[in-house]
Amino acid sequence: MSALIGVSPLLLLVAAGLSIMVIDAFAEDRTELALVTAASLFVAAAVAGVLMLGDDITTAPELVTRYLAVDRMGLFFDVVICAGAGLSTLIAGAYLREHGFERGEFYVLVIFTAFGAMVLARAVDLLSIFLGLETMSLGAYALVAYRRTSARAVEAAVKYFLLGSFAAAILLFGSALLYGATGHTDLLGIQQSVAAGAADPVLTIFALMMLVVGLAFKVGAVPFHMWVPDAYEGAATPVTTFMSVVVKAAAVAVLIRVLIGAFGDQSTMGLYTGWTPVIIILAVISMVYGNLAAIAQSSVKRMLAYSSIAHAGYILVGIAAASEVGTFAVSAVLYYMAAYTFSNVLAFGSLILMGSKGKEAVSYADLAGAGRRHPMAAFPFVIGVLSLLGLPPTAGFFGKYYVFSAAVQAGGPMVWIAVLGVLASVIGAYYYLKVIVYLFMKEPEEDAPIAVPMQSWYVVVALIVAGYYVMKLGIFPSQYLDWAVAAAAGVIG
Amino acid sequence: MNTQILTWLLAVPAVAALVILAFPRSWETGIRRFSVAAMLVELVLSLRLVFADYSGAGYNFVEHIAWVESFGISYKLGVDGFSLWLVVLTTALSPVALYASWGSVTKSIKEYAFSFLLLELGMLGAFLALDLFLFYVFWELMLVPMYLIIGVWGGKDRVYAAVKFFIYTMVGSLLMLVAVLYVVSSYEQLAGHYTFDLQELSNLVLPALPQYLCFSAFALAFAIKVPMFPFHTWLPDAHVQAPTGGSVILAAVLLKLGIYGFIRFAMPLFPVASQALGPVLAGLGIVGIIYGAYTAWVQRDLKKLIAYSSVSHMGFILLGLFAMNRTGISGAMLQMINHGISTGALFLLVGVIYDRRHTRMLDDFGGLAKVMPRYTLFFLIITMSSIGLPGTNGFIGEFMALAGTFFSRTPIGFGSSWFIMTLLATTGVIFAAVYMLHAVLRMFWGKVTHEENESLPDINSRETLAVLPLVVMVFWIGLYPKFFLDKMNPAVDSFVTDFTVRYYEGRRTSEARLVDFDELKARLEAAGELAMTERSEEEARR
Repeated sequence: MSALIGVSPLLLLVAAGLSIMVIDAFAEDRTELALVTAASLFVAAAVAGVLMLGDDITTAPELVTRYLAVDRMGLFFDVVICAGAGLSTLIAGAYLREHGFERGEFYVLVIFTAFGAMVLARAVDLLSIFLGLETMSLGAYALVAYRRTSARAVEAAVKYFLLGSFAAAILLFGSALLYGATGHTDLLGIQQSVAAGAADPVLTIFALMMLVVGLAFKVGAVPFHMWVPDAYEGAATPVTTFMSVVVKAAAVAVLIRVLIGAFGDQSTMGLYTGWTPVIIILAVISMVYGNLAAIAQSSVKRMLAYSSIAHAGYILVGIAAASEVGTFAVSAVLYYMAAYTFSNVLAFGSLILMGSKGKEAVSYADLAGAGRRHPMAAFPFVIGVLSLLGLPPTAGFFGKYYVFSAAVQAGGPMVWIAVLGVLASVIGAYYYLKVIVYLFMKEPEEDAPIAVPMQSWYVVVALIVAGYYVMKLGIFPSQYLDWAVAAAAGVIG
Repeated sequence: MNTQILTWLLAVPAVAALVILAFPRSWETGIRRFSVAAMLVELVLSLRLVFADYSGAGYNFVEHIAWVESFGISYKLGVDGFSLWLVVLTTALSPVALYASWGSVTKSIKEYAFSFLLLELGMLGAFLALDLFLFYVFWELMLVPMYLIIGVWGGKDRVYAAVKFFIYTMVGSLLMLVAVLYVVSSYEQLAGHYTFDLQELSNLVLPALPQYLCFSAFALAFAIKVPMFPFHTWLPDAHVQAPTGGSVILAAVLLKLGIYGFIRFAMPLFPVASQALGPVLAGLGIVGIIYGAYTAWVQRDLKKLIAYSSVSHMGFILLGLFAMNRTGISGAMLQMINHGISTGALFLLVGVIYDRRHTRMLDDFGGLAKVMPRYTLFFLIITMSSIGLPGTNGFIGEFMALAGTFFSRTPIGFGSSWFIMTLLATTGVIFAAVYMLHAVLRMFWGKVTHEENESLPDINSRETLAVLPLVVMVFWIGLYPKFFLDKMNPAVDSFVTDFTVRYYEGRRTSEARLVDFDELKARLEAAGELAMTERSEEEARR
C-alpha cells in the first residue's frame, strides 16, 4: 500500500466516488451528500498538501510513474483541483437544494470529473493525457447538461460536447503524429528524441500544434473559446464554478508538462522559435478579446465566462515566459492558478448567494441595490471581483504581479507583452467594477422581481474559506510562493 | 512605541475600520463619534513625528521587516522632510473632512466611515512606504474607498465620475507596475537578488532609453494623479460628483500623492530622463496654470471652478519641482501643503452653502455678505490664501516656486528656457486672482438677488469648528513659514545633491550597472565638486 502513497489523493477520490454511489442508493437526505463529497475532496486536498510538503514523494511503482507523474507539481494541482472542486461542491449543495433539483449522481459526477482532471494534470504519456482528458470532459459534459429541463443547459452541453469532441480528436491526431515522428508516447522519450534530433521536425511541429489546439480548447483560449460563454451560461452556476477552476487548472497543468516538459528543448522553445510565438499570440488575443467581449455582457455569468478567457490569456503569458525564465515563470503560473481558483470561487459563490428559489441572480440588473439591502452578502462579491481585477492586497494582484514579472524577466518582446497585458486588464476594471456599481450604486427598476439572498451555511462556509485564501495569498504569499517554486522545480529538466 | 510609531499610524485607521464594521447599524451617533475620534487619535500620534530631528538627510522612525523574502519585498516605512508635512496634512484633514461629512451624509454611514478610514490608511501608507511594492499596494488601496465614496455618496452622475476616476488612475498605475518590475528585474540581473527597497534600488544606474521609458510610465501614473494637463479631465467630474468630505480629501491629499511620487520615486530613480523631460512636464504645468485658470473663470458651478483652480495650482507645484533648485522644490513642497489647506477649506465652505441651498451655481447667489457675514469672512480669507495674497500661506509657496523657476538657469533645471517659463507662470498668477475674485464678487457682494437666500442661516458652530483650524494654518504658514521650511530644507538639499550626482552618473553610463552612491557622493563632496551647482544658483540669484 505504501508503494502507492504518491498517488493516494487519486485513489482516495475513486474510493470516495464509489462510496457515494452506494450511499446515494440508500440515503434519504441528499444534502448530506454534498457534505460527504466536499469533505472527501478536502481530505484529498489535505493529503496532497501534506505529501507535497514531505521530503519523499516519489514512491509509486514504475507501472504508475510511466503514465502519471508523481511529483510536487502533480500534488500542487491535486490541491488546487480538490480545493476548487470541494468549494464548488459546497456551493452546489446549497444551490441545488434551493432550486430543487438535487440528485445524488451530481456529486458522483463531480468526484469523477475531478479525478479525471487530476489524472490529466499528472499525465506524462500521450495515452494518459487522452484518458485523463476524456474522463474529465465526459464528466464535464454531463454536468453541464445536468439541469436537463432547461433548454439552455442542454443546448450548452451539446455545443460543448460537439466542439470538445473535435478538440479531443485533434489532440488525438496530434498524439498519433507525434508517436509517428518520435516513436514514443511518453513525454520523456519524446523529449529525448527531439533533443537528439531524431524526430522529423515538420511532423513534430505539426503534432505539437495539434496538441496545443486541443489543450487551448480546454484552457479556453481565443480562438478556441467559442464554447466557453455558452457552456458557462447554460450550466447551473455551481457547475460553471467547477468548470472554470477544475477543467482550466488541469488543462494548464498538462500544457506545462507538454510544452516545457517534452518540448523544453532549445530547438523547440525560444522567444522566436518553436512554440513560444504561438503561445504568445494565443495569450495576446485571449487577453484582448476576453476583456473586450466581457464589457458587452449584460449577464454577470457571461461576463465571468469572458473574464475567464482573459485570465487564460494571462496564464499563457506566464507559460510563454517560461521559455526564457523556466522555473520562475512556471511557479508564477502555478501561483496564478491557485489565486484564480479561490477568486473565481468567491465571485461565482457570491453570485449564487445573491439569488434564491424563484429568482436566481444572473444579470447585473438582478444585483441592483443588493449591496445596500444585504451588505454582508455583497462583501465577498466585492473582494472576489477586486481580486479578479488584480487589485492589491488580494491574491489576484499577487498572481498577476508574479506572471507579469516573469514576462518582464524574460525580456525582449515579452516586456511589451506585459505592457499589453496590464493595459488589457485595465479594461477589466470597467466590467468588474460594474458589479460593484450595481450592488451599491444602483436601485432596482420599478416592479422588477428582486433577487433575495439565499440562506445556507454551505455557501457561507465556502465563501469564508475562499475569501480567507484570497486575502492570505495576497497579503502573506511567502509560504505559498515557496510551494509553487518547489512544485515548478520538478518540471524543468 | 516610539520606534514603531509609523506602524501605529497605519494600525489605528485599520483597526478602527474593522471595529466600525462590528458596530450595529442603528447606532449612528456612535459610529460618527467613534470614527472622528479615531482620526483625532491618529492626528495626535502623527504630531509626534514633527518633534523629531530632521536636520540630517536620512529617514526617521525607519521600520524594516521582510515581507516576501524570496522577492525582496519588505515592509519598510520611514519619514523625512518630504513626507512629514504631507503625513500631518493627511491626519489633520481626514478628521476635518469626515466631521464635515456628517452634516450631509445620512445614508449607509457605517460604510462611509469604513471607507474613509481605509482611505486614510491608504494615503498614509503611500506617504510612508520606502519599498516600491509596498508603495504600490497602498497606492492602489486608496483607489477603492475613494471610488466608493464618489460612487455611493456622490451626486447625480456619480457612477460615471467614479468609474472614470478609477480607470484613469488604474491605467497609469499598472504601467508604473511594469516599469517597477523592469527596474527590479534589471537590479536582480546585476546584484543577484531581488529588492524593492528604494534605497537599494537607487544604486542602480540605467542607460538612457530604459530611463526614458520607465520615467514615462511613472510620470504617467503620477501626472494623472496630480492631475497635469492634459490628464486632468477626470478631476472636475470627480470633484463635482463627490460628497463634500470626498472632495476635500481628494483635493487636499490625493492630488499630492502625484507630486510626492515624482519626488520620492520617479526623479531619483531616473534622473537623466527626469532632467530631459522635466522641462516638458513643467511646460505642461504652465499650460495647466493658464488653461486651468481660464477654464475656472468661465465656470458657473462653484465646485468645478475650484476643481479647475486645482489644475492651475498644481501647475505651479510642477514648475517649482522641476526647477531643480532648493527654492523651487521647497516652494513646491510648501505649496502642496498650502493647496491642501486652502482648497480643502474651499470645498468645506462650498459644502456649507450646498447643504443650505442644494445648489452650487454662482448665479443662484449674490449679496451673501449681508446674510452670512461670518461665512463671508471665512470665504474671503481662504480666497486670499488661494490667490496668494502676502501674509497668507499661498503667497509664500507661490513666490518660492516662481523664484525657483527664475533662478533655474543651471544646466540641471530649465536651462535657457527659464525666462519664458517665469514670464508665462507669473501671468498665471494674475489669472488666479481674476477667477477667484470674480466668483467672490458674484456670490457675496451686491444685492441679494434671490429671495431664498435672504433667510439663510450663517455658518454654524460645527462648520466653524471644521474650518477654523485651516484658517489658523493659513496665517501660521503665511506669517512664520520658517517652522515648516526648516523641517524640509535638509531633505530638499540632499535631494538636489543626490539628483546631481545621479544625473551625471547616469549620463556617463551606456549599460545598466550598480553604483554605490553614498560612497560616490562622499568622494565628490571631498573633491568639492558638489558645491558647483549651489554656486551657480547663488550666482544666478545675484
